[in-house]
Amino acid sequence: MKWGMVVDLSKCMRCHACVAACRLEHFLPLGVTWCRLIAWEETAEELTTYPVRCNHCKEPPCVYVCPTGASQKREEDGIVWVDQDKCVGCRYCTIACPYQNRTFVSRDKDTGYFPGYELTDFEKAGRRLYPHTVGTNEKCNFCMERIDAGLAGGLKPGTDREATPACVNTCPARALTFGDLDDPDSQVRKLIRESKGFQLHPEYDTDPSTYYIDKGYRGV
Amino acid sequence: MALRQWMVTHEWMVKPTPQTEWILRRGVLVWIAEVFTSLGAGLYLVSIFFNNWWGMLAAWLIIVFLKLPLHIMYFGKPLRFWRTVPPFSHAWKTSWFTRGILFSILFSGLVFIQLIITYFFPGTGWDIALKVSGGISSFLLSIYSGFIMSYCRSVPFWNSAMLPLILIFAGVADGFALLIGIGMVDASVDIAAVEFGSRMMLIINIILIIVYLWNATYTSKTARYSTVLLLRGSLALPFWLGVVASGVILPLAISASSYFTGEASALLLIIAIALHTLGAVALKYVLLKAGIHNPILPVTTSAYH
Repeated sequence: MKWGMVVDLSKCMRCHACVAACRLEHFLPLGVTWCRLIAWEETAEELTTYPVRCNHCKEPPCVYVCPTGASQKREEDGIVWVDQDKCVGCRYCTIACPYQNRTFVSRDKDTGYFPGYELTDFEKAGRRLYPHTVGTNEKCNFCMERIDAGLAGGLKPGTDREATPACVNTCPARALTFGDLDDPDSQVRKLIRESKGFQLHPEYDTDPSTYYIDKGYRGV
Repeated sequence: MALRQWMVTHEWMVKPTPQTEWILRRGVLVWIAEVFTSLGAGLYLVSIFFNNWWGMLAAWLIIVFLKLPLHIMYFGKPLRFWRTVPPFSHAWKTSWFTRGILFSILFSGLVFIQLIITYFFPGTGWDIALKVSGGISSFLLSIYSGFIMSYCRSVPFWNSAMLPLILIFAGVADGFALLIGIGMVDASVDIAAVEFGSRMMLIINIILIIVYLWNATYTSKTARYSTVLLLRGSLALPFWLGVVASGVILPLAISASSYFTGEASALLLIIAIALHTLGAVALKYVLLKAGIHNPILPVTTSAYH
């Protein structure tokens, strides 16, 4: 089993709902962003938007460079995650990640959503439910806690909402698809096959688990 | 302003993006620690060549009391330092960072014992064996930073097999300069021989830096951009004034003048050592500052083709 995601660029309408959903799901501090929406002006008239997050590479440089083993890849499903109890905050992974999808949580990135004022009830709840350790690195984990809980309850990630990453659930344009890359009949595999899915910077030999399809431009 | 920068997601990595973690804010500690790595390891290598106990002691002090603490202070969680050390970590199999920490610990331990043995029992078998071991560990210590940086594929300026060589030869040149300084208070140092070594190393450094930059101009667009920054961009001042003039040309000119006029005066030697050390600081600065990531986009979209 290897979890992966397909992003349909022709469907993405730059609403930033995935970014907001990720922020809510993981109670991200103000300066920390796991999921991003980056824009590239192809021509003066044409703007391409790429939702990006950790690619959960099959050959993850961040895992190989980590001096403590805090950055790990789960062998059972390929999810790359950071054990914040082990991370020393050397930031080698931040530099080694070719996609720059890691964030170092520094004290000034965790000042609260209204700096100088008391934390909101939402923030207080977040610090209890999903603590972010200052002085460590973190990144998207494909909502692995949702996946694990869902699988334990007999649900299918990518199909059942409770077992699917928050960004995928929330996308109003259905531009994001999640599923098992090892299953040739999964929706993600079909999309990659039929729409000629591509990965970001395949020349780095990292074999990302996030694929992009570009139906609009390819005329598929 | 900085907070706004973190929140603006759409401008992320769409242009060549400089790495900031190892040079800005607390990253300054990494920069200074790398300077001390170069000075300490280089001085030890040169000192065992000239069999100078005080040089070896100074090198050990630089590594143990300056380089290591600065690296640990840089960590977000310094008290978890032990997690990077075997047997608590098995990451040495893949991570140059862990290997570097291992080399530092090896150097600190071996050279400590070697200094005691050399002081009390010079010329014995143990003395020679420990000097060889210390030499190997200092060689590894001086080269690992280059491998840490060259491993990063998305930073094409660093992703070069020449970078570890640049750092080790620059370290040895730093070692020669520092040993000249020690020679000013320790009469056993043959200053003329050390100066000769220094001249050779400075010439090798010039060649290596030229080849490295030349190579970077056609490796990729981003590496070329880094080179342009060094040669005539925002890093031109520290590069030309710090690395080239202060670190190589002026010390070489002072050293060359002593070749023709006999031994250089003490004042000139002090100036040469200070300039060379400034060059070492500038070299690490420009190398770290010129580390620029390839942008994520454009990629293989049809529009890109």
